[in-house]
Amino acid sequence: MREESLTAVAEAIRAGKLSPVEAVGLCLERVRKWDGRIRAFVTLDEEGALHSARVLEAEAAAGHWRGPLHGVPLGFKDLCHLQGLSTSCGTSIPGYFTSAQECTAARRLLEGGAVSLGKLNMTELALGAFGDNAHHGDADNPWRAGHAPGGSSSGSGAGVAAGFFAGAVGSDTGGSIRLPAACCGVVGLKPTYGRVSRAGAMVLSWSMDHLGPLAWTARDVALMLQVMAGGDAADATASRRAVPDYLATIDGGIKGVRVGLPENYFFQGVADEMTAGVRRAARQLEDLGAHVGEIRLPDPQHMTDVAMLIARAESSTLHARLLREQPEALQPTVRARLELGMGIPAYDYLQALRLRAKLTRAFMRDVFEEVDVLLTPVIPEPAPAWASLKGATVDEFNARSARFSRLTRPFNGYGIPALSVPCGFTATGLPLAFQAVGRPFDEGLLLRLGHAYQEAAGWHLRRPRL
Amino acid sequence: MSERAQAQAERAGMLGVIERLAGELALAEEPARFIAALESEEEVPSDA
Repeated sequence: MREESLTAVAEAIRAGKLSPVEAVGLCLERVRKWDGRIRAFVTLDEEGALHSARVLEAEAAAGHWRGPLHGVPLGFKDLCHLQGLSTSCGTSIPGYFTSAQECTAARRLLEGGAVSLGKLNMTELALGAFGDNAHHGDADNPWRAGHAPGGSSSGSGAGVAAGFFAGAVGSDTGGSIRLPAACCGVVGLKPTYGRVSRAGAMVLSWSMDHLGPLAWTARDVALMLQVMAGGDAADATASRRAVPDYLATIDGGIKGVRVGLPENYFFQGVADEMTAGVRRAARQLEDLGAHVGEIRLPDPQHMTDVAMLIARAESSTLHARLLREQPEALQPTVRARLELGMGIPAYDYLQALRLRAKLTRAFMRDVFEEVDVLLTPVIPEPAPAWASLKGATVDEFNARSARFSRLTRPFNGYGIPALSVPCGFTATGLPLAFQAVGRPFDEGLLLRLGHAYQEAAGWHLRRPRL
Repeated sequence: MSERAQAQAERAGMLGVIERLAGELALAEEPARFIAALESEEEVPSDA
């Protein structure tokens, strides 16, 4: 089970080689053995998972298959509301978030046959890039003990890498799916804004939030997205565009695809090993038939600043009651971030929203006439050691967190899809990753590129030794 | 610098950037044009 991708698990169950109960049992065995160190779970729903698995097993025996994920174990970031399980959003308050309806994306996966193992660790209120959590424990990196797994979807990334479940749902407001995916050596997709409904999930910033999948391979992520994506009456921002058949095109290769390596911003201040890994991946894409060239971008720093201000203002507004009534319940770093947003005038917030529209049009016009996909690093340095982060002051910690997400945040602002794909390891065994970025709603091309690369490079076949 | 002063400085920096960039905005610009751009409902305007 640990060696298998989500796709392989789904196929094994469908072929009768693995039962849903066996699949869940193998996952639970690993969780019991290793989650004391990894801390991927906030709520492990052992009983619920086994009950669901038994029902699915009986249905399979009777020839009834719910969907493409029948019997596949998944985990959900603890900001997705699921009936019967509390939703802490990484706070010390077990039921901090409640909703009249379940998280649409999670519900669609479960209706597609998936089994929920429970709710996953995250940075408090999804505010932070490393995966620290004073209430539920800092999640740890499966590849190297004592290193950050990335955040805020820390349990989602670490749990997939540790083999606790075959796939996970995360959320991404400034990089919170892609950062843990990159730190933990798995694939993570931030879809186009509106591609996946956010109904039933805690809001951090309604303008910047995205829900998306994490798993071992681009094919796995395509399978999850296929089920999660689509319009939703419960989310006014969910696009009504038809969802393409991602799996039908994923084997199509990348011959002739124009890939751009940014000349500015994205390779500045990036660790040498990370830069080398991404450039090596670009050469491999070239070997696979892509046309790789350099491109100068409209300054992404502008969108980083705009996206940061919008996210700060919205998150402070949304969580003002907690900040006002129970400030001592919040981690100092999270409290400081919320306090920062409280003083942003409406004038500046609205100007930032207007700027977002203008900057997005300019970026799409200038970039996607030249290339089909941008290729950048995801994180400026490999997963940092917790020891290097823990001695910092609140301001130093938050400044480092902002630097760690500076390569992902612009694409929350532009709203365009971005896929994090592992592309090797440092000399000390920490994952490297590239980010493939495409036109709005062109997730299919990104998944095709990620799949072609993984099939050629083979990094996704490695597993951490826990 | 105290943490409060640091936060105030950071906020002032953010607001300064927005103020500078907003000087180039066309009168017709509005937040809804972001979604229009993603959904390709809008031609690229000449106001950039």
